[in-house]
Amino acid sequence: MKAHWLKAIATIAVALLSVGTAQKLTFWHYWDGANGQVLQGLIERYQKEHPGVTIEAVFVPGGELLTKLQTAITARQTPTMAISDLVAMPLLTRSGALAPLDDYIRQSNLNLADYFPGPLVYGLYQGKRYSLPVSASNLGLFWNKNLFRAAGLDPNRPPRNWDELLKYAKQIKEKTGKWGIELFTQGGEGTTWQTQVYFWGAGAEFLNANNTAPAFNSAQGVQALQFLVDLVQKEKVAPVAPWGLFGRGEAAMVMDGSWMTQFFPQQVNFELGAAAFPFAPGGRPATNMGGEQIFIFQNADAATAKAAWDFINWFSSTPVQVEWDRGTGFLPVRRSVANDPAYRAWVSNARPLMRPFVDSMAFARPRPPVARYPQISDIFAKYVQEALLGRLSPKDALERAAQEVAPLLR
Amino acid sequence: MSKAWKAVLTHLLLAGGAFLSAMPFLWMLTTALKPESALYQPPLLFPVHFEWENFAKAWQAAPFPRFFLNSAVMTAGIVIAQTLFSAMAGYAFARMRFAGRDLLFFGVLGTMMIPFPVTLIPSFLVVNALGWIDTYNALIIPRAVSAFAIFLFRQFFLSLPRELEEAALMDGAGRLTIFFRIVLPLSTPVIAASAIFSFLFAWNDILWPLIVTNSPDMRTVQVGLAMFQGQYGVFWTLLSAAATIVTLPAVLAFLAAQRQFIAGITNTGLKE
Amino acid sequence: MNGVRLQPTSIVIHRGWRRTLGELPTALLFLLPTIAVLGTFNFYPALYSLYLSLFEWNGLSPHREFVGLANYTRLLASGEFWNSLRVTLLYAGGVTLLALALGLLVAVLLNQPIRGQALYRVLYFLPVITPTVASGVVWKYLFDPTQGVVNRGLAEVGLEGPSWLSDPSWALAAVVVVGVWKRVGFNMVVYLAALQGIPKTYYEAAQLDGADSWQQFRYITLPLLAPTTFFLVVTALIDAFQVFDLVYVMTSGGPLGSTDVLGYYLYRQGFRYSELGFASAVAYVMFALIFVVTVIQFRLTRGGQGDV
Repeated sequence: MKAHWLKAIATIAVALLSVGTAQKLTFWHYWDGANGQVLQGLIERYQKEHPGVTIEAVFVPGGELLTKLQTAITARQTPTMAISDLVAMPLLTRSGALAPLDDYIRQSNLNLADYFPGPLVYGLYQGKRYSLPVSASNLGLFWNKNLFRAAGLDPNRPPRNWDELLKYAKQIKEKTGKWGIELFTQGGEGTTWQTQVYFWGAGAEFLNANNTAPAFNSAQGVQALQFLVDLVQKEKVAPVAPWGLFGRGEAAMVMDGSWMTQFFPQQVNFELGAAAFPFAPGGRPATNMGGEQIFIFQNADAATAKAAWDFINWFSSTPVQVEWDRGTGFLPVRRSVANDPAYRAWVSNARPLMRPFVDSMAFARPRPPVARYPQISDIFAKYVQEALLGRLSPKDALERAAQEVAPLLR
Repeated sequence: MSKAWKAVLTHLLLAGGAFLSAMPFLWMLTTALKPESALYQPPLLFPVHFEWENFAKAWQAAPFPRFFLNSAVMTAGIVIAQTLFSAMAGYAFARMRFAGRDLLFFGVLGTMMIPFPVTLIPSFLVVNALGWIDTYNALIIPRAVSAFAIFLFRQFFLSLPRELEEAALMDGAGRLTIFFRIVLPLSTPVIAASAIFSFLFAWNDILWPLIVTNSPDMRTVQVGLAMFQGQYGVFWTLLSAAATIVTLPAVLAFLAAQRQFIAGITNTGLKE
Repeated sequence: MNGVRLQPTSIVIHRGWRRTLGELPTALLFLLPTIAVLGTFNFYPALYSLYLSLFEWNGLSPHREFVGLANYTRLLASGEFWNSLRVTLLYAGGVTLLALALGLLVAVLLNQPIRGQALYRVLYFLPVITPTVASGVVWKYLFDPTQGVVNRGLAEVGLEGPSWLSDPSWALAAVVVVGVWKRVGFNMVVYLAALQGIPKTYYEAAQLDGADSWQQFRYITLPLLAPTTFFLVVTALIDAFQVFDLVYVMTSGGPLGSTDVLGYYLYRQGFRYSELGFASAVAYVMFALIFVVTVIQFRLTRGGQGDV
């Protein structure tokens, strides 16, 4: 009898305990299609390994996520955790709605030194860390091997620097009548983030070291923009035209994102090459970087927040990140992932075009983490357009852009 | 010009415009039937590929049955409420005389002139305070009245001859009776027009439904479509297949409504 | 023919019905849902947004800084705003007038017993139904500098077309074309509904008087459509002042701000830059502009009953 009672009490206690620890977490994200399915698969496994924790992953379209976060924060109706495009992180960290992660990171011995430095620039505010990178992407060179062959170029030798880039582009224009290279000339962030790669590759900076003033109007900056203007105006190897020429085989080279290693092969009917983007003679290798960051909201009670952190910690671990990056095609945010033998083998076998992008993570640079970055980007892009259309000299264009940008950084 | 020539000319003119009008829709259909590898081929107006699988893939890529149910409930609620309430209000503005009528009417018109982005947060706060997040209430009631439809009805009633109503008024009929028994039956064309616009408004809306619902179970078809317009490139063939599926009810709704355009006053026995 | 012009014959009777308060109680009954819903979900948020226009706020921060009228003075001092206003007026004027004329033409043609009437109606309405992404893709392709049908056609007749959407001098014209394309079907539907409201007896009477079809159109159809035309002009202007998705898909306001309509400008400030206080100020300046234009039209047309 006694044993029977004990057993009953134990059962009740276990039931009570699991009720006490039962955690329901909500997680807003914009990972669509296959990416969303990979996430769901990982979550289901996590739930199985951690009974009592349920995670409801809610898809919110990327274009509306920030608006949805705004309304949720204003009405204090936030989910437990969410992701965001890294560009929005400065706004979010200043909202006072995110929970600092420093204590969790310390307690879990999460090794931040293993992360690539670029993505870690985001999520910091007043000395505290509010978010962790969970995915990355960057820009590189794609080229059309068929057009290279037709122009008498070695189809397996991409340009290594701007001199070669220009030489190849001219030869392609001359021999095939197609454009040498496609630039994103439509303005906005698309123009800015591509142009930044040329600027960094020429040794120019976008903003000064503490992000309080524009720096793109330097001599190297003018040199970089002059190179782009010459491609369009002087050499006429790149058009000012709507985006999409490369995919149609109308341009031989293009700067595009690592995610296109997944899309292009299914969509184009020519042989593709991919490489790190060439830089200026005397410059340095550089690329731009995108990706997502994950964070926890203040509103959660201590136990829920801890449960959310446990998930984030698990999700950020090297083996899970290897699986995540293999499933989604995102670039690693941690060196241990980029160097993982299984990951490297997967890249070589399944996604050889992605190799240069993975390697570029070492020098991939973040866009400045300032709250007014979207405005600054639009202004910069507008003056790049002015220069590309030949309406302003590169120097004048950058000077004027700097004048308009300066007040936004004060 | 002879009658036959006139007819030929009319048809040529109409067909040219109709072709231009239909082109993007045809592109959507042909893209939906393309394999991904044919994406960069020039747009087609008539299908040469027939990848019917795209439709199956698109349908399975998101919980569309649930999304369709939500969109259907929301749209039905909005269409019925907007049509009825807006017709009533439009009638009051067109036919009744009362102090402050024009002022109130301008107030109604004014609500159309405040762009939605700046009222989004305060509107959300109201719905939140009412405890309506994740309910059909939040999807329907804030949009149960349409200033646009009120305006449409008012203008229609203004152009409607008053004779019948006046005869009824002289006979001592009340406004409600006149409105429901005489005016509404004469108004099928404008009811159809207003209903189709309400339908399109509700069916195509994405931002408001997304903001006032958090649960995936409350999401609508447009959120399903957004899943194909990813952060990292658009899945054009699947997007086109999904867009075709999602747009179909709108086409059917228009087909149903447009019959009513010809069932107008001319057929209702009002001759004088 | 002016005799056919129909003004209500019953003004005398109207005066007899009501005294000072008029039909206020009945009217309130009819207007109750409108007042309740619009008041709660439109008026209150609009006033709140007016209040927000006096603050600097990014929609996220717990701190709102009261700045008085600074958002308004900053707006009126901004070259971008005046550029947007100019672009918007050109867009609104172009789309409103062209789509009105074409919509009326199509409606009148389709109001006759004509073969394929129902099919035509559907086809002309398709632009209203077609998802904006699909429309954007196709029109971008039509306006493509080298592959596009537009420039190929121009080349046939020996002209070199511009690179439309990338050319600051031509992008707005291209966007107006698409705006008109999208609006014609809408205007057609409203005109069709209104045309059905014109009793056939008026035309029969006119025919007895010997009026030809142009005269019937000019002296019966047009005047009787006036309230509808007023509606279409006012709503076209309101929509044109707020147009966003078309511009977003086609040009993102570029190149060089040449298609940066106010609706897109507002979107940038409110959503992209998260400047909610400033965006509210933009919204209220837009409101004031449209409102004044509408009131003037209302007065000129005697409450939207006469010709515009």
